[in-house]
Amino acid sequence: MHNIALLRLQMNHLVTQARQDLHSLSVMNDQSDQSQILQRLWDTVSTMHFISEMLANQASMPGYYVLPAPTLLPQQNGTTNQTSIPPITPLPNQTLPPPNQRQFTIEELATYDGKNGRPAYVAVDGVVYDVTNNRAWAAATHFGLTAGKDYTAEFQSCHAGQQSILATLPIEGSLT
Amino acid sequence: MEQPILPPESLTNEAIAARLTTTADKKQREGLIKKRNLVYLELNGCSGNIISLLNGQNPTFEYTLHSLVNLRYSNSLMASEGEQATEKLIDVLDEDFILAVEGAVALKDEGLYNVIGSWNDQPLTGLQAAQMLGERASHILAVGACATHGGVSAAKPNPSESVSLQDVLPDRNMIKLPGCPVHPDWFLGTLAHLLLYGEPETDNLGRPLMFYSTLIHDRCPRRPFFDRGIFAEKLGDKTCLFKLGCRGPVTRTDCPTRQWNGSVNWPIGDDTPCIGCSQFGFPDAMAPFISFDTTRVVKDE
Ligand code: HEM
Ligand code: SF4
Repeated sequence: MHNIALLRLQMNHLVTQARQDLHSLSVMNDQSDQSQILQRLWDTVSTMHFISEMLANQASMPGYYVLPAPTLLPQQNGTTNQTSIPPITPLPNQTLPPPNQRQFTIEELATYDGKNGRPAYVAVDGVVYDVTNNRAWAAATHFGLTAGKDYTAEFQSCHAGQQSILATLPIEGSLT
Repeated sequence: MEQPILPPESLTNEAIAARLTTTADKKQREGLIKKRNLVYLELNGCSGNIISLLNGQNPTFEYTLHSLVNLRYSNSLMASEGEQATEKLIDVLDEDFILAVEGAVALKDEGLYNVIGSWNDQPLTGLQAAQMLGERASHILAVGACATHGGVSAAKPNPSESVSLQDVLPDRNMIKLPGCPVHPDWFLGTLAHLLLYGEPETDNLGRPLMFYSTLIHDRCPRRPFFDRGIFAEKLGDKTCLFKLGCRGPVTRTDCPTRQWNGSVNWPIGDDTPCIGCSQFGFPDAMAPFISFDTTRVVKDE
């Protein structure tokens, strides 16, 4: 029940945040700042929704242990005059070990197809990347491509000059 | 800039659209805007967009027809048939008109895979109509997936050799309204904007920013579940639908806030993944629409 107290605290914090944002919105004229505050308000409401679902879940299942999420919830900054709002950091990557130097053959790579709970890997320029939880690779597929293959040519033709995309992906090893 | 509208004035989608409609109506009565001719051409498609438009609420489709435009031609809605219908199409050519096109343009056998009528006892193909009207229209709206990028009509193996409207009118500027079907507000709102204020601001793919600027994933109520890696395993689960193949993270529309069928609900709100119907390349590039084998662990595989 210790968790319920924490969730409640978090919820109250979000309510305060939302009220403050509503107030800021009602007094400000600058359109560009407005859209940032609206985005944060939206995120706040979504997080409140999430917490209320979690509480409802716990209420309907006595003894059910809530995920140790409260410490992981985004730390909202209470000030409204900041210029940028930190995005919510996705969790999956946070616990990843340092870059892996595993060697993959093309056959081994083919087994990382994202099916049946397996991770989804793709190779570009000899480097094997993890796209399991990348937003653009839902269900281990991306614009007609399926995970587990070497897509050096496809990356060149579709994302030429967008090396920054690769820089965001966790590296799993290299292709031999 | 005018004073922003603040609560308690209603900020629901309907209220905002109703305000726009009322403004348009008022301006028209004051003679500030003039009704313009609209040709709504249906080519190689399923007529899904015109059906979606009939579902429009603010403005309604009737309102659009009575007060905003003179609908001079519509394959589905006009009373005339045969060559009499085609005659109406030919008559508009010498006047000022806005052209809206739904459906792709079939190229195979000089367009004979899509015949929309006849003229002088000859079949009039969609290809001929698109070129003839496209060259003369003052503004062009490509409506729905097929007209904007080929869509379902151009999906593999594409037996009719269908292409987008832009492919047959490479030099014309057009506003693109992808979607399968288009949301009534996206079309009627763009049309109202065109009449009231001129062409709306678009992105580099020609889509009006007022409807297509934001990633579904960035406004999705299930985003907190995505960020915490809590995923649905089957249709009906209330968490993030990413592992089932949700295309919300690559599709830009305002579905999460606007919703469908009179703002009643939308796919993710009804526990089914976004299939990316408004992304260029749909449906092939967005396939598979649903995958169950990503989360389900099969022991004796
Ligand atoms: C068939 C070729 C491909 C096409 C048509 C394609 C298309 C796209 C598009 C349109 C987006 C942007 C989505 C949006 O934000 O609106 C995107 C993002 C992305 N693509 Fe591709 N892509 C292709 C190949 C690849 C390959 C081979 C990779 C392998 C690593 C890849 C990795 C990514 C990633 C990681 C993103 C997300 C980028 C971000 O976080 O902003 N794509 N792709
Ligand atoms: S349901 Fe789809 S759009 Fe919503 S958060 Fe999950 S992946 Fe993103």
